[in-house]
Amino acid sequence: MLSKIEQIGMSKQHLGEFEELVLLLIVMLKEDAYGLAIRKGLKEHAERTVTIGAVHGTVNRLEKKGLIESRLGGATDLRGGRRKRLFNITAFGRRALQQSQEVKVKLWRQIPELSLNILQYPI
Amino acid sequence: MKSTKNQLPQSIEKFLSWVCKDDLLEEILGDLQEYQEELTDKPNWKKWIFYWFQAIHFLRPFALKKVASYSSYNRIPMFKNYYKTSFRSLMRNPLSSFINIFGLSVAIGICLVVYAFFEYDYSVDRFHKNKDEVYLITSHTNRDGTDQQFGLTPTPLGEMMHNDFSQIEKMCRIEDGNVVMKHGDNVFHEQVRFADHEFLEMFTFPLKWGTAGSLSDVSSIILSEEMSIKYFGETNPVGKDILMIFGENRSKAFKVVGVSEAFPEAHIIDFDFLVNFENFKLSDTSFDLNDWSTFVNATLIQVDNPTQINSIKQRMVKYKALQNEVEKDWAISSFDFVQLHDLHLKSGKIKDDISYDASAEGRIALPIIALFMLALACFNYINMAVVSAAKRLREIGVRKVMGAYKRLIVIQFLTENILVTLFALVMGIFLAVTIFIPWFSGIADRALGLQLLDGNLWIFSLLLLLFTGIVSGLYPAFYISRFEAVTIFKGSVKFGKKNSLTKILLGTQLVLACISVTGGVVFTQNTIYQSTRSWGYAPTDALYMEVPNYAAYEQMKTVMFQNPNVLSLSGSSQHLGKSLTTTMVHLANQQYEVEQLSADAHYLQTMGLQLKQGRFFKENYESDKQAIVVNELLVKNLVLKQPIGQLFEIDSIKYEVIGVVQDFHNYSFYTPVKPTIIKVASEEEYQYLSIKMRKGTEKNTFQAAQTEWSKLFPEIPFQGGYQEDVWGDYFESLADMESFNKAIAFIAVLLASLGLYGLVTLDVAGRMREFSIRKTLGAKVKNIAANITQQYLLLTVIAFIIGMPLSFFLVQAELALVFAYAKPISYLDLTLSVVILLISLLAVIFIQIRKVSKTNLVEGLKVE
Repeated sequence: MLSKIEQIGMSKQHLGEFEELVLLLIVMLKEDAYGLAIRKGLKEHAERTVTIGAVHGTVNRLEKKGLIESRLGGATDLRGGRRKRLFNITAFGRRALQQSQEVKVKLWRQIPELSLNILQYPI
Repeated sequence: MKSTKNQLPQSIEKFLSWVCKDDLLEEILGDLQEYQEELTDKPNWKKWIFYWFQAIHFLRPFALKKVASYSSYNRIPMFKNYYKTSFRSLMRNPLSSFINIFGLSVAIGICLVVYAFFEYDYSVDRFHKNKDEVYLITSHTNRDGTDQQFGLTPTPLGEMMHNDFSQIEKMCRIEDGNVVMKHGDNVFHEQVRFADHEFLEMFTFPLKWGTAGSLSDVSSIILSEEMSIKYFGETNPVGKDILMIFGENRSKAFKVVGVSEAFPEAHIIDFDFLVNFENFKLSDTSFDLNDWSTFVNATLIQVDNPTQINSIKQRMVKYKALQNEVEKDWAISSFDFVQLHDLHLKSGKIKDDISYDASAEGRIALPIIALFMLALACFNYINMAVVSAAKRLREIGVRKVMGAYKRLIVIQFLTENILVTLFALVMGIFLAVTIFIPWFSGIADRALGLQLLDGNLWIFSLLLLLFTGIVSGLYPAFYISRFEAVTIFKGSVKFGKKNSLTKILLGTQLVLACISVTGGVVFTQNTIYQSTRSWGYAPTDALYMEVPNYAAYEQMKTVMFQNPNVLSLSGSSQHLGKSLTTTMVHLANQQYEVEQLSADAHYLQTMGLQLKQGRFFKENYESDKQAIVVNELLVKNLVLKQPIGQLFEIDSIKYEVIGVVQDFHNYSFYTPVKPTIIKVASEEEYQYLSIKMRKGTEKNTFQAAQTEWSKLFPEIPFQGGYQEDVWGDYFESLADMESFNKAIAFIAVLLASLGLYGLVTLDVAGRMREFSIRKTLGAKVKNIAANITQQYLLLTVIAFIIGMPLSFFLVQAELALVFAYAKPISYLDLTLSVVILLISLLAVIFIQIRKVSKTNLVEGLKVE
C-alpha cells in the first residue's frame, strides 16, 4: 500500500496552487475541515470565492492522490440531517506541503535583497 | 424547525441525485443546504439562482455517474445463457410455442403476400426505360357539374402538338381494332393495335427477334411472343407474311418484322399485333385524321425532361378551342398529362384509358387484413406470455438475486421474443412461398412472387421481424420483469389470472374474429344472392354471335330460321353484355349522358326484355326510325310524368319515346344500371345476331349455329356463345372473392381459437389441484365446466356486443366498395357468424373440460 502511495507521490509530487491552499486550510481547520468550511476559509483568508463544487472537486482529487483522508462526521439539523465529510491531512500530505514550502523558501533565499526591492516596487 | 424552513428545493435534489454518484450525494446535498445560511437575507428568486449556480458546478467528472460502466465485462456468456434458457422454455412448453410460432408465421405469411401484392402493383409498366419521360395525354370534361378525366384524346391533337412543340421528342397515337388474322390454317379473331412507329421506342419492350425501328413501314407487323407461337409455332417468323382481314373484301398482307420477348409479369399495356397507325384507315373506313370531333384511344408524348410538361400544359388552350368548336356535346374543359410511371396507379380515376387499375380495393383492404392477422397473432403471444409467466418466475427471481437489473430482464425477454419471431419469419416465408402466394395469385389473377434475393424484401422482413417482435414482446417483458425477487420466493406473487389486459386482448381477438367470420358468411350469401339476381332480361336460353355485316346476317338468319329450335331471332349493332355506346340526350336545354343500344324489332322478345309501358319497335324500320325505347331508370332520373310521347333530341334529331322497359344489366352487377335508350338499328349497322332457343335445346342449337356458320363463312371464325357465359368471368371472380373471404375468416377463427385454447389450457393446468379438490368434495363435471366457462362467458358476450355492429358496418363498407347491388346484410348473417364463432369457442373449451374430467384425482392432488 505504501509503495503505491510512494509511487503516486513520486510521479505527482508537485502540488497545484489551489490544491496547496486547500491543503493548508485543511490543516488549519483541524477537526472541522469539510467542504463548506474550506470554502469559507478560502473566502476569509485568501479572498477567493469559489463554488462548492470546485472545493469538492479539489478535495476529491487530493484524497485520490493520498494527500488527505476522510471520514464521515456528525449530522446537524442545519444540513437537513446529512453527515459531513471531514478531512485530515495524511503524512504524505504533510510531506508534500513541507516540500513545497522548502522549494519556495530555497528559491526566495537565492533572490538578493536588491531584486526583492525591485519586485516590491516595480519600475 | 430551521431545517424545514430551509429545505433544499426539490428540483435541485432530484437533479443532483440523477447526475451525481450516489456515494457523494450526501455530502454534496448537505453542503448545499448548509450553504443556504449565507443567503438568508436574499430574495427567493436570487436564492434559487444561487442554488442552481452551485448545483450546476457539480457537473464535474469526479461527481458524475458513469454512463456505460459494464462495457468492460465479457457479455457473451450472458447472451449464451439467454439463448439456452429461451430454447429450454420453448421446448418445455411445446403447445404454447407451437401456437405462438404458428400464429405468428401465418400472420407474417399474410404480410408477405401483401408485400408481394404491393411490389407487383408498384412495378406495373415501370420496366420501360422512358417511364418518366412518356406521358399520356388525358382530357377533362365537365358535365352536370362533375369533372371526368378521359384517356381519349381528339384525333388530330397528337400530330399537331408534335409539330407545335419542340420539347416533344416523340409522339404516338394508339387505336385498337378487331380483325381476323390468317396464316395458313390458323384463322382467329384477334385484336390488333395500331400505333405510330415510335411506340416501341417509348415503350421499350425487348424484342426476341427482329428490330423495333421497322414498324415505320406501313406493311410490317410486330407480334407478341404468345401470338408468334400461336401462328408460327416455335420457329422464327421474321420475314413471313400474315393476312389481316378487316371485313369483307378488305384485307392486307403484313410482313412480320419482329417478335417481342414474353412480357414481364407486371404489365398492363401490351399488344398482340402491332402495326403502323396508317393502317387504321383500313379497319375504320370513315376514319379522318383531321376530325376534331373524333377521338383516338390514346395519345402519348415523350419529352426530353419531365419539367417541360408544365410549360406544354400551359399552352393547351389553343387545342381546347379547336375541339370545343366542333364537338359541343363533349366539350373538353382541359388537358392533362399523366406520367407512364404513375399511369397504372392513377387509372382508377381515368375513364377509357389504355391502362386500368384493378387493385384499388386491394390496396385498401389487404393492409388492413394483414394488420388484423398480425394483431391476432401478437395478442396470442402476449396472452400466452403473460399467463405462462408463472412458469418462469423462479428464473426471474434467481436472475434478479444474481444482480440482473430490470432492464436486463426486459432485454432478455425481448431477445427471446425476437428469436421466436425469427422462427416464425422463416416459417412465414415458407408458408407464403408455398401456399399463400400461389393461392392468392389464383384469386387475384396475377402471378405474384417473392424474389428471395430482393433487397427490399429483406428490409421489409427485418422491419416486420422487429415490429412484430417488439409489439408482441414489450408488454410481457415489462410485466414479467416487474416482479420483485423477494415476493417471488415468498410465493405470494399473483400472476396472470386476474390480468385485465389479457381479457381485453382476448376480447379484441374475438371482435376481430367476429368481423372476419361475418365477412366470410356475408360474401358467401352474397354470391348466392348475386347468382339468383335477375339480369332484367332472360339470358338463360339465348345465344349470340358476331356478324361482319348485314349480308352475313341475312344469310345466317335464313339458315337459322329453318331450325325448329329457334324461337326468335334478332339483329343489333350493339349487344347486351358485349358492347354499347354512350350518347348525349337533350331535353329542354339540358343534356344527359345515356347508354345506347341499337337493335331491330325482335330484340325485346329474343332477349326477354320486359316491357313496362307503351310498345317496342314495329317490323317496319322506316316507321320507327325516330322512336326510342327507354329504361325505367331514365324515366325515374329525368322525372318524366308521362314518358310515352316525350320528345328527346339526339344529335339535333328529334326522337319520340314509344316504350319503357324494365331496367336491365348491361354490365355485371359490379357496376350500377345506367339510364339507357334503345334505338332502331339500320341494316348496315348490324354486328350481332341473337337467338332465343327452345328450352332444353341450347346445346344442339349452339352446335347447329356453329356448323352452319363454318359452312357459310369458312374464312371467318365463329365468334359467339351462350348469353349466360357473357358474364362467366363475373361469377368466377365472385367465387374467388368468396373463397378469399372464407379463407381469411378461417384463419382468423383459427388464430383466435388457438389463442383461447392456449389460455384455457394454461388456466386449467394451473388450477388442476383446485379442480381435483372440487371433485373430491363432490363437484360434477358440469360444475367444473360451468366454472371454467364462466370466466370467458362475460368476455364473449361483450365481444359480441361490440363485434356485431362493428362487423355489420365494416362488411357492408367492403361490399359497397365492390358491388353496386350487394345483398343487404341481414340479422341472419350476423347470427350465423356468431354461431360459427361460438361453436369453435365451445369446442376449444370442451376439449379442456374433457381433460379435467378424465384426469385422475390423485394426479392432481399429488404434491411433489
